[in-house]
Formats: sequence, structure tokens, C-alpha cells
Amino acid sequence: MKEEARNFETDLAVIGSGIAGFAASIFALNRKINCAQVGNTGAVAYTTGYLDLLGSSEELQTPIDNPWEGLEQLKKAQPNHPLSRIPAADIRKSFEQFTAFLGECGIAYTAPQDANITALTPAGTLKKTLCVPATMAEGAKAFADKIPCVIIDFKGLKGFSARQVVANLKAKWPELTAARISFPDMDKGEIYPEVMARALEVPATRTRLAELLKEAAGEVKVIGVPALLGMHNPDLVRTDLERLTNLQIFEIPTMPPSVPGIRLREMFEQVFPQKGLTLIPQQKVTSLTFNVDGAFLKLSDNYGPITIHSKAVILATGRFLSGGLDANITGITENLLNLPVTQPLSRTDWYHDEYTDHRGHAIHKAGIEIDSSFRPLCNGGKDGKAYNERLFAAGIILAHQDWIRGRSGAGIAIATAYKAVEAAEKFLNFHKVKSNVE
Amino acid sequence: MSNKKIPTINFKEKAIELLPEGASFEACLTCGLCSSGCPASGIENMDPRKFIRMAMLGMDEELSTTPWVWCCTQCKRCQHVCPMSIDISQLVFLARGNWPQEKKPSGIVRSCELIRSTDSTSAMGLPPEDFIFVVQDVLEEVRETQPVFKNLQAPMDKKGAFFFVNQNSREPMSEPDEMVPLWKIFDMVGADWTYSSKGWAAENFCMFSGDEEAWYEVIKKRVDAVNELGCKVWLNTECGHSYYTMWNALNRFGIEADFKLESLITYYATWIREGKLPVNSKWNTKGIKFTVQDPCMIVRKAYGESIAEDMRFVVKSLVGEENFIDMQPNRSANYCCGGGGGFLQAGMTDHRRTYGKRKFDQIAATGAAYVLTPCHNCHSQMEDIGHFYGGNYGVVHFWTLICLSLGILGENERTYLGPDLLALID
Repeated sequence: MKEEARNFETDLAVIGSGIAGFAASIFALNRKINCAQVGNTGAVAYTTGYLDLLGSSEELQTPIDNPWEGLEQLKKAQPNHPLSRIPAADIRKSFEQFTAFLGECGIAYTAPQDANITALTPAGTLKKTLCVPATMAEGAKAFADKIPCVIIDFKGLKGFSARQVVANLKAKWPELTAARISFPDMDKGEIYPEVMARALEVPATRTRLAELLKEAAGEVKVIGVPALLGMHNPDLVRTDLERLTNLQIFEIPTMPPSVPGIRLREMFEQVFPQKGLTLIPQQKVTSLTFNVDGAFLKLSDNYGPITIHSKAVILATGRFLSGGLDANITGITENLLNLPVTQPLSRTDWYHDEYTDHRGHAIHKAGIEIDSSFRPLCNGGKDGKAYNERLFAAGIILAHQDWIRGRSGAGIAIATAYKAVEAAEKFLNFHKVKSNVE
Repeated sequence: MSNKKIPTINFKEKAIELLPEGASFEACLTCGLCSSGCPASGIENMDPRKFIRMAMLGMDEELSTTPWVWCCTQCKRCQHVCPMSIDISQLVFLARGNWPQEKKPSGIVRSCELIRSTDSTSAMGLPPEDFIFVVQDVLEEVRETQPVFKNLQAPMDKKGAFFFVNQNSREPMSEPDEMVPLWKIFDMVGADWTYSSKGWAAENFCMFSGDEEAWYEVIKKRVDAVNELGCKVWLNTECGHSYYTMWNALNRFGIEADFKLESLITYYATWIREGKLPVNSKWNTKGIKFTVQDPCMIVRKAYGESIAEDMRFVVKSLVGEENFIDMQPNRSANYCCGGGGGFLQAGMTDHRRTYGKRKFDQIAATGAAYVLTPCHNCHSQMEDIGHFYGGNYGVVHFWTLICLSLGILGENERTYLGPDLLALID
């Protein structure tokens, strides 16, 4: 039997399925660009669900209350930082469009405001973030107002301890207490938030859990639970549980494997094809080549080989975890095109001696260089020449940022995706006009 | 059970042999997405992440002997959600094959033996002459009792027919009238098709027993049967693993096949699009709700999204778009029902139902009255867990609903319809 090769034609191909890749697809859909997205399961499943723009100063490691002022500081301190290259108005627009899209597709988010939200982490520490899922928003408010609250965890659920959350927050939030309950029908062995979340999509499970939550809350009217209030309909599940318990309920993220990221991934995988985007999830592009007419992406799925012919490409392949970059004995390389990677001079310069060194590590700022149109550069950017006029890049593969220290992962992903799509659209329109004239 | 010891496999070494270049179990981040997304997690105190970690730690004896390998349905969902795309099911296949025959679940072994016992390749041991007889007998009855179909055909061993249609043994063996709706569909679209007296059966438990030699032998017999009749397309009936075992084996064993493998679902969709199957949803006047189960074997493990899309197109055409509710998750991310991998035949009923609870919750969350699925194992498992967990849904074949929509479903062909659907016909 002969394998049948499948071919797709598109205007824009997005490589990568992390936040940057998904954001690029959203912006392309908003601009009505014919688009295809490819990439294996990215790190999106690991997200807390919070969308950070700039939560911390990369250099000083101090929390940032106003990210927009923070961006001004960043521009001065780190002019090469990807966020320093984007006007604040565009960054705001990118967050507005991204969160609005998520809301329309069934996962409500808070819109970007002028100030960061002080949000709760699985460990009971605090972090600054810009937008949070609606299911988590009340937690930040309860903390701000120090409302009496019970944090509830579940027997058998690892990666979320109510006692730990309370122990870390008690000094700042005196009327915070912890309780542990058994999830209906899951009282044996290790249980996972994903399984509990899916079980809560069933009304009968909600009714049973509601009784347990009421009992655990006692006289208190606000409760915090690990993020497991439904997978496909989180807002409905939360509202229904609130109705059944007469309590105010909010979610706190859990350690991976966590529900908020799986929610996003499954939503994207269903919604994008419905909106006309060609999505080939779970597969890695194995080769990317260019000729005068466009780009050719080659990959295979279980069924056989696939070729995507595209007029423009956005590279959003991430860093080491997602396979955009590779750390070798001789240095750091970019995996798909062997693009030059800005990196420390030698391997010995990658890390300071102490892993927790307050200065951070040089390897975490490695990445590719781009021009003002978000096109990757040849020669490490020395002569400013783009690798190819059809190629754009977005996300944490870009050099000069340490998103973990800056609490800026989603910000870099979303804002650079916005700019890359904007530039790709400009390119596509220019060539459309050109070919019409010809 | 015999006292014969299960040999110990060096899993780490085997993993290196099995994996394509560049892939590695050492790439596992231990994030647990696999276990979190696996309905077999926790059964026999094992889960996919634990399996990989134990392999890396050299705990070969424990892994070689854990009965969990018979509870993992090899559905590959763990690989699907793994950021490093680590395929654990290959190790499970290896572990299954390593068990001495007499220690393997006898239901799976027996089914494989029966498949090899006749030219039919039927897991229920139905020999060719009996299959021919049943088909002829049922055909004659339909011709006599349903005047509209007095010229209905069910060709046998017709050389040069376009479609070679396989048949799950359950129908000729236990519920022969269930073969009829598909014959009517073929009649309506004017398909040039044939059954074969050899290699006609769909099921293949030899793969599930981990016995590569037997798997090859069965597929070879089936391929020879199609080649012998000179058919252009091997059309797989509403059965999941029959497709996968054939499709995967052709590449795995390098078997020459002069025909294409296709799924009935693809053709249902094509015939509806072309107007050859003029189905509609007007009959569904009560707005009865339906959902669909994506069989792992043809969706996640083979065709991917294209067949999942076809399946939804067919269902929506049949029941009305507003009456279709997707399970969550779905398509390639769907959960295995727990009936796959030979689990239904393995005799581990409690474990199988524990596994199936995830599927039950998925179905319950849709609130649908019926689940459609083009897979016999999914069908049986979903019925069983429905009864066990107190669900009130029915499970139906596509062919039943197609004929219902066309108004040609005979009285003996309504086994899987509940009173609500029967009321709409009468």
C-alpha cells in the first residue's frame, strides 16, 4: 500500500504550539489571514493560567505593581529586551485581543488593567500578573481584602497543600484556614486535578462535592480550591458550585500537570479548526526550506508525510523544553534552520556557580536576534540582514530576555506574536499588491 | 495459571532499540501529563510515568511481571499529551509479548488461537462455510420479508469487486440481523462490493497478545484474500482495531498490498456529500441528543483529525447539528473507552470498569441519550459501563442510524434503539 502524502497551502504558517504559537494564530484569525499551525504539545500545559506581562524586575528581582511603568524602566535598562521593542499600546492591544478571544471561546479572563494583580501561587506565595482566569480572580480580591477564607485540598492530590498555602500566607491573611476533604468516588491512591476537573463536568458530581465543600467551609463564606473546577466549562462549573453551596469559590493554580493549561490547549485544538485554521497538533516540523515562492514545511503524523506550502512563516518554537533551541557541548543551536544564536562565549559562562545566584544565569538570555519587523537575522545580527523576508519569529526563542526572572513569559509570547503577525500581514499584503500589479 | 516464570526484560536497553533516533525515555521530564491523562493510572498501583521511571531505574522484574500491561489499552494518549512525545505503549507491547502464553489473560490468547484456527480469521472461530451460510440465510429472509429489498445483494468472493468489505464476527455469530443495514446502504449507493469467504473477519486479538508472529500471519492471510479477489479497496467495517492492526502491520512487516485501506466512515461521509445517501435529521422531531465516541484505533492512532471530522459530519447530518454534543475531550485527545487492547476479553472486569469510569463521566457530562461509535469494542464497553454506573444512554452503530434516517430500518434491525427512537419510527 502506498502512503498518500498530504499537502496544504496557506498564507501564514505558525510553527510552535505554546502560548506564542497559539497567540500568533489568534492574531492571524483576527486579521483574517489564512493560517496553519503546527507544533507538538508545547509547554502550554504547564501554565498556571496566569498571563504575566512583567511581574518582576529582571535585574533587581523586585515585584512590579505597574507593568506599564515597569516597561518604561525596562526600555532604559534593557533596550534589547523583546518587550522594549514594542510600543506599550501594542502590548496592551495584544493582551486585550488574546483575553477577549479566550473569553469568546469559553474561558473567561480578566482584561488587562493599569496595575498588576497580586495573585496566589500553589505554594501560597504571591506573584504579580496582568490577567487571570475568571475562576481565579476572586482569590486575588479575597487576599487584598483579607476576607475570612478556607483553603481546601483533597486527599490523594499531590502538588497542592492547603496547609502550605495557609502557612505561607497566614501572617498577611490572618483569617485564612485550611481543610482537607475526599473527592467523591476518588478516595483511594493518587488523584490528578485533570481527572477531578473532568468529573466536575458531570452535574451529579458537582452536587456531591457541594455538600462536602459546605461542610468544610463551616461558617466561612469564601473558599479557595485547587484549579480543578471543570475542564471545558470552568466558568459554568464554578457558578454552579457557588449556587449549590451558597459560597464564593475561587481557584488557585496547582503544580503541573495542571488544569488551566490543559483547558487552554484543548480549547485551542477545538476552536481553531472550527474557525478555519489548519491545525496539526502534536507534530514537530522536521524541515523548513524557502524558495522564491514561499516556504515549505515538512512533517509527518501517524498517517504519513505532510507538506505545508506557505507564503510566510512565524517561528515560535520556544527554547530548550519545546525544542526550539538545543544546548550542546559546543554551544547552543537553533534546531530548525540553524539560525545564529546569541549566547555566552563559552559553555563555562552559561551558569554562575550557585544555581540560586541572584544575578540569574547568562544561558537564560540566549536566543535569536530579530530586526524591527521581527525577522530573524543572519550572522548573529551583525549586518542586520534578515534570514529570509518570509520568516518572522516570536516568543521566548528571542534573545535578551530571562522571562522566568522577569515574570514575563506570557507577555513576551503574546506581544511578540502580535508584532510578528502584524509584520507578516504587511509582507503578505505587499506581495498581494505586487502580484496584482504584475 | 501455570507456575512458569515471566522472563525479565531489560526495558532501558529495549527502549533504546525501539525508539527512533533522537528520541529517548531519558527526555522524560516526569511532569506527569501522561499519568494525569491516562484512565489506567492507579490500576495495579501503576501509571505511565511510574512505568517510565521504573524502566529508567532498572526495575525490570517488577515491570516484566506487572499485570498493568493488560490494563493499559495501548491507546497512546500518554504519547499524545507528552511534550517529549514519549511512546510508552511500545514498551507495553513488548512486555505483553514477553509473558509466557499460559500466563497471559486466557481470553485474549484464546481469541488469537481461534483467529488462527480457520481461514476466516474469525476470533469467534466461525469457519468460512458457516459465514457463507449465515449471510445467505439472512439475505433470503430479508428478500422475503422486506419487499423493497427483494433484490438485495450480499456478494461473496466476487472477483474484481471494488470494495472488499470485512465483517466483525459478532454479527454473523450472535446478531446476524445487524449485518443487514450495511447491505442496504451499499445497495442504496450502488457500491460494487464483496465479502470474502477467506480472511473476512475484522477482529485481531493476536496483536493485543503481543504475539508478533501471529499478528503477521493473520494480516498476511487477510491481505492475500484481498489480493486474490483483486479488490481495489479494503473497506473496514465499523470496527476500530481491525483497521489499526492491518494498517500498522503493512508498514511494520513490509507486506505488499495492491489495494487501499479505507474506513466506512470516510465513505459514509463521501456518499452523504455526493447525495448518494440522502440522509437527513427531519425524523428527530423530539430533538434527541447524540454524542460520538472517537475510537483511538482509527482517530488518534491512525487517521487523526480528518476522520474525526468526517465522523462529526455524518452524525450531524443524521441527527441535526443542534442535537449533536461533543464529548470532552474529543478527537485525537479523546479517552480510550477501556474496551480496547483486548481489555474486554482479558477477564479483568473490575479494572476495566475502573478504567471506563472516565468514559462514563465524559458521556454523562454531555447529557446525550445516545452514543454513536464506529467500533465494536467501544460499543460493548460503553454499554457495559453505562449499565454498571447507572447511565441512561444507549449505544448505536452508524449503520443503524443511517437506515433509520432513510426509513429503511427493518424490524429486526432495531436492537440498539431505545423506546424514544422506536417511538419516532412507529
